[in-house]
Formats: sequence, structure tokens, C-alpha cells
Amino acid sequence: MQISRSTRIRKAKGGGWNWVPLIPFLAITVAVMILPIAFMLEGSFKNGDGLFTLENYAQMAAPLYTQSFRNSILLSGITAIFGTLLGTAVGYFTYRLQSTRIRELVITLCDVTSNFSGAPLAFAFIVVLGSNGVLTLALSQYFGWKIYPAFSIYSFWGLVLAYTYFQLPLMVLLVLPAVAGLKQEWREAARSLGADSRTYWRYIGLPILAPAILANLLLLFANAFGAYATAYTLTGSRFNLVTLQLGSLLTGEVLRDPGAGDAMGILTLLLMGLTISLYQLAARRARRWRQ
Amino acid sequence: MKQRSLVGPLSIILFLAYMFLPILATYVFSIAIRWDRSILPEGLTFDWYRTAFQDRWFLIVFKHSITISAASVLVSALLIVPTAYWVHLKLPRALPLLNLISTLPFAIPAVVLALGLIKLYGQGPLQLARTPAMLVLAYVIFTLPFMYRPIASSLEAIDIQRLTEAAQSLGASWPRTLVQVILPNILPGILSGGLLVFATIFGEFTLATLLVGARYKTFPMQLVYYTRRDGRIASAYSVISFTVAWATSLVILWVATWGTRRSAGPRTAQDLTRKQASVGGKV
Repeated sequence: MQISRSTRIRKAKGGGWNWVPLIPFLAITVAVMILPIAFMLEGSFKNGDGLFTLENYAQMAAPLYTQSFRNSILLSGITAIFGTLLGTAVGYFTYRLQSTRIRELVITLCDVTSNFSGAPLAFAFIVVLGSNGVLTLALSQYFGWKIYPAFSIYSFWGLVLAYTYFQLPLMVLLVLPAVAGLKQEWREAARSLGADSRTYWRYIGLPILAPAILANLLLLFANAFGAYATAYTLTGSRFNLVTLQLGSLLTGEVLRDPGAGDAMGILTLLLMGLTISLYQLAARRARRWRQ
Repeated sequence: MKQRSLVGPLSIILFLAYMFLPILATYVFSIAIRWDRSILPEGLTFDWYRTAFQDRWFLIVFKHSITISAASVLVSALLIVPTAYWVHLKLPRALPLLNLISTLPFAIPAVVLALGLIKLYGQGPLQLARTPAMLVLAYVIFTLPFMYRPIASSLEAIDIQRLTEAAQSLGASWPRTLVQVILPNILPGILSGGLLVFATIFGEFTLATLLVGARYKTFPMQLVYYTRRDGRIASAYSVISFTVAWATSLVILWVATWGTRRSAGPRTAQDLTRKQASVGGKV
């Protein structure tokens, strides 16, 4: 696609040679990203005999697949909302801290912890909240509160806790520039016109922050939806999530129709693409206030 | 007023506790003789590290992870630096295309990328999709935003047009201009991008296990293996993994401050682009 475009430009403007240095980059992009997805798209419309069909997508209505999409959307949605609410609050309080040293410390910590994810994070949660975990034992021995079997780190709510762990610091980091963009003058102007703190937030603070918060919420959603390692380490393939389903299809733990896998992959890409596009729109709007 | 001044610090303390507890617990667990019957560990030991190090797999998987991460950083830098420089200098028309391509990996979960690669390159006797070389290429794509963003903002922070013209009017060739004039100026961007890519790939499990799997075991694969077999060795692996991530993050922060001192860009803005660039990996 790029090659034909470059030839056209060369003919039209005579400057097409400028595209030549881009060839290695574009070639790898096409070979490793574009073509595999194109093949998946094609495969999702083919049946076992290589004929056109919509059957693979019709199959997505089966309970197995609807459940995995529902679980993934719920898990990503809940942890994105938790992350957004708590992260915005922590971000705001961090920004308002008097001491720059502590503020810098919190930011550094967020930076470091937002890189803790995947398998080591999952294992850390087993240490803390597994059936013999540190906190599990402390709660039962000090407070007589046995959290198992009502709660389990290997269950949906366990996953919520582990996912929130990597969503939170990310949100704090994402929201800080937006909060820092709230100008002191606006608050003072509002106050001089008689607005109390609540009115200020209701009519000025939150409306200005809203696009940034929405953008970050969408980013967190996408972040959680595509996650695999944390859920795999905690639950194996027992819990029904989209990424775990696709993973078990690949490792051959479950023998299933490859066409269905392709359809599932394409639906995932559509959902992710939509989320990221909306994120970009919201982020562009949020940037207006940062000039 | 008084009430509000308490809510802030309290929520920050709770947040810090939530962030610290799992890490701290893992560090202590890795040096505890036993810590699954009582609230405090039953004595301390370094045996689990010794056991982990003595296993012949430890060195193998560590070497594999270092090799794959370093190779990916190298390929990525060699591919992206000249491309980004050229496009910024000569072909601003292609900037939207480059920006689009470097955003796309955000929308592609690792599992889906693995599925597509195996679909396309998994057949035939070569099984290209199952080779470490393909894993490196997949990582280059997967970490594209991490590498491209810092390099692009470094390029935008300096006047590459004038620098290039100055170098060439003094008779420098293209490669020489890039290596001797542009490269030193955008080094902080390349370094922070490269370190982030390195740390991400070092801890990456999904693509590695789904593409090459047991053919080329990496550090995170061995860690997941031990979480199911022996929690004490898994804790030693986790601590090592944490420590690599820690160290890299701190170096990145250090490079970022060093870079802003040189290029005088607003620190938060740079941090933000890097942070947004880092979403979508690792997990």
C-alpha cells in the first residue's frame, strides 16, 4: 500500500525518492503487524474448506464467547473505574502536597510501581492474599476474619485487586499534568465572584478535568483488556477472559476451531481500536487547556 | 477545612501501603524460612536464592532474556532513529503516517499479535513464527510507541534542519551527520526509550511464551513455572525481576532529568508522553 503511494507521489512531484529510506521500517511494520492482522481478518471469514462464511462470527454468540467478552469487559471496566476514581483523588492530593520532596517521592514510586505487572505482580498477590498469604493469615489470627473461601485471589475479585494495582499508579501519573493545568487564577476568580469550593469544582474544576479523566479511563480500560500475564499466572486458563481464551487456543490446551479464534481476535481488535480512537479524541480535547 | 487536610494525607498513606505491601511481602518471603503458618516469618535464609542460582536453568533463562531484550533494543533503535530523523527532516508529509503506525500497537494486545504471527508464519517446516528472531521482530513492533515517542520529542526539541545544514555545509555526509551531529543531541531520548524497551521486554511473558515457548525459555517463563511448583524459588525470581524493573525505572528517571536539563523541555510533558507510551505492554 505504501509502495504504490510512494510511486504515485514520485510521478506527481518528483520527490518520491525521499520515501526510499522509509522502506525498512515500513517493510517490518507490514510484515509483522499489518499482514498478520490481514490474514486473521481473512481467516475469520473462512470455514474449514476455505470458503467464505459468516459462521465464525455467528459462533461468537455462543455462551462460551459471550461470557469471555462479558468477563473481560467487566474486569477492565471495573478496574478502570477504580483506577480512575482513586487515582484522580490520589493525584490531586499529591499535587496539593506542601512538600515537594514527598510529591517527588510519590511520583517516583508511581513510576516504578507502574512497571510492576505481569507474573511477578501476580505472584506478589499470592504471597499477600493467597490462601496462606500474609494478609490472609494476619486477618484470621488477629481479627478472626477468615476471608477464604468467600474471597479468593484466584477469582474475579482477586483479579480486580491485582489489576487495580497496576492501574492506580498509572492513573496518578496520567492525571497529574491535567491537575497541574488547573490554574490558580481560575480558582481565585471563581472565589472573588462568590463561588465556594463545591461550586468551583462543579462548574469549573471538573468540567475542565473531564476530558482528561475520560481519556485516561479509556486508556486504563484498554490496558486491562489486553492484559494476559497477570490473569494467566493467577488463574491459569480456568477463568474465562478473552485473552486467556485466545492464549489457550494458541498453546493448544483446548482444541477448537481456528476460524473462531480469528473472529475473536478481530472482535478484540475492533473493541481496542474503538477504545484507543475515543481516547485520542478525548486526549486532544484535554490538551486544549494545557497551552 | 481541617477535615479536608486530613483526607489528603490519609489517602496518600493508604495508597502507599497498597503499593508497598505486595512488594515488601515478596522481598521478605524470598528470605523467609517459612512464612505460610504464622504472621511473622520463621527465621531468615538465603537458601531459596542459592537453590535458584544453582539450578542450571537460571543462567540459561537469564541469558536468553538479556539476549532477546538487548537484540530488540538494538534492532528497534537502528530501525527507528534513522527513519524518525529522515521523516522529521525531509518528509514531514509522512509524519501523520509514522504517528499512526506508532500508535497502532496500543490497540493490539500481545495475545492477538501472537495469534496473527502464528497464523501467518507458523506453517511450513521452518516454523518462522516460533523462532527467537521472530520474537525480536514482534517485540520491535510491540514496543514501537515506547521507542518512537521519546525519540520524536527529542528530535522536535532541537533544530535538526539547521544542525543538518550546518553539518553538510561543512562537508559531512548523511551517515556522518546522523551519527556525529544528530545522535549526540537526541541521545537522552534514545536512552530513555531504549531502557524502557529493555525493561519491558525483560519482564514480558505473553509474546515469549505464546511464540517460542519452551524452545527458548525466558526469565518470566521460568518465574511462572515456579509459581506453580515452588513458591520460594518463585519469590527469588520475582525479587530479581522487581529489582531489574526498579533499577531501570530509576535510571530512566535519571536520564529524563539529565535530558531535560540539556534540551530544556518541560519535564512533566516529557514524562507524560513516555508514560502514555508505556501503556499496553508488560501486563
